[in-house]
Amino acid sequence: MASIKRSILFIFLLLFQAVDLFASEGGETHALPEPLMVIPFAVLLIMIATGPLFYHHFWERNYPKVAIVLGSITVFYYLVFLNDTYHLLHTATEYISFIALLASLFVATGGILIRVDRKSTPFLNIALLLFGSVIADIIGTTGASMLLIRPYIKINKNRIKPYHIIFFIFSVSNIGGSLTPIGDPPLFLGFLRGIEFFWFFKNIWFIWIITLAILMLVFYFFDSRNKGDEDPNTVYTGKIEFKGAKNLVYLGIILISVFIDPGVISWVPSLAPLPIGIRELIMFSVVYLSYKTADKEILKYNEFNFEPIREVAFLFVGIFATMMPALQLISYQAQQLGEHLTPGIFYWATGLLSGFLDNAPTFLNFLSAALGKYGMNVDIKQQVHEFSVLHPLYIEAISVAAVFFGAMTYIGNGPNFMVKSICERAGIKMPSFFGYLMKYSIPILLPIFAIIWFIFYY
Amino acid sequence: MKNLDDVIKNNLHGLHYGNRVLIPFVADVLKAVIENDIIVDFSSTKTGAYYKKHDDFTEIYFYDYKNLEEVISQYETIKLVIVEKGKSIFDFGTHRKIALRLQKNHKLIIEELNDDILFVE
Repeated sequence: MASIKRSILFIFLLLFQAVDLFASEGGETHALPEPLMVIPFAVLLIMIATGPLFYHHFWERNYPKVAIVLGSITVFYYLVFLNDTYHLLHTATEYISFIALLASLFVATGGILIRVDRKSTPFLNIALLLFGSVIADIIGTTGASMLLIRPYIKINKNRIKPYHIIFFIFSVSNIGGSLTPIGDPPLFLGFLRGIEFFWFFKNIWFIWIITLAILMLVFYFFDSRNKGDEDPNTVYTGKIEFKGAKNLVYLGIILISVFIDPGVISWVPSLAPLPIGIRELIMFSVVYLSYKTADKEILKYNEFNFEPIREVAFLFVGIFATMMPALQLISYQAQQLGEHLTPGIFYWATGLLSGFLDNAPTFLNFLSAALGKYGMNVDIKQQVHEFSVLHPLYIEAISVAAVFFGAMTYIGNGPNFMVKSICERAGIKMPSFFGYLMKYSIPILLPIFAIIWFIFYY
Repeated sequence: MKNLDDVIKNNLHGLHYGNRVLIPFVADVLKAVIENDIIVDFSSTKTGAYYKKHDDFTEIYFYDYKNLEEVISQYETIKLVIVEKGKSIFDFGTHRKIALRLQKNHKLIIEELNDDILFVE
């Protein structure tokens, strides 16, 4: 418990402490933002949480404006008061990369139709959630979520409850993707910095199994009590049908393009200082081509529309822009306090922040702090690789926390929001931001994450 | 008076104007899903949605949208759970799921939802 308290204290300290100078990753020196500049981010988070609940229609109509206005305040501050274009460009690059991956996976999977004509049972659901968790490591949490959420709802149509979707978000959209760099963006950043591709699998598989096993037990407890109102005479063929196979080719292209990065393949040209790379251009091309060539009948069945990705694009442009000061302050404090941080503190600090901030930069900042403890530099691949061999526990704690805690809120990971949107369009009333937190993630996930901490990082 | 089966069999269409849709049969609406909005309260004449049954058609107003055509895209629909006039509202067997597809010139296509389209009552 002391470790948790210290982590919370650490987070508070870093958000409200010290104004100083720090060295950026680019080697340039930039002034640290005023802690007060965290306010636009806090306002945006509060509005995302309360908007759909208390002023639904204002929020529905105006969330793009709110996100842009709040983001612009931070951008203006960086441009005019800090004269810091480095962080702006860096954030723009990360945002474009983030949205290119999400949009391409969203559109490509929107052209795939999976029909499963089987009776919904707790065991079938568990099998599907586990299958989704495995493929999340092959096609990413976004790809797996978009591919499986519709068949999962269809299987459960006679007994669907919000908990079905919440456990889907917990497992397929988040925890499942912790075994490979393709699974979740923070791990990919780690891979780019020098951690071996299979390092995550070798070091995290047992935590992945334990966490999912506990989660599935809890799911079974819920699901076995849900009898539904299905007609007992319903006949199932047991068939599984797959349509839109050509979109698998597009999925393949997206997955290959993930590696088309100057940091992975030396001959790939960098388009810097443009905040876009060859990879993103390929992904945006896939968005266009997969939509244009998709089977119209499948798009109709999937009720395909761009609104869920539009919502993510607008909200996250605001989140990425407004969270710059918070991330910079975290980075600074992590560097300052690095020497005193244990794997347990890294676990809770990375996790609690990843639930509300983007987990990729959070992962990188804490990785940088962990390396700093041993006089190593996150910008030097050889040192990151060496660190992963000599002190695996730190990277393990940071990686597990960055990916797992993304399930704590709707905004913790990109696919969470998209899954919520698809479910609402299917007529499923989803819990509010606070409902999700209070009814599901705090009572279910937090104890599981505490067990993981106690076993591995205490 | 036409019923839903007549409408589907004869490819009859409804109408839409701004935030108002007219379906060519008489029914009670139990649930409507439009975009991310799940509407089950039809009591207000100012917010959410409201429906009115006439002798041979039903009109529905979606107050939170000025122009439905602007928000419902090509592959999207407005989804409804309805019970036709004369049938018991308390019998789940009479609840029917339909999709309203907005087309040009105020034409409203009415389709009964099959299992491929996600809609949970």
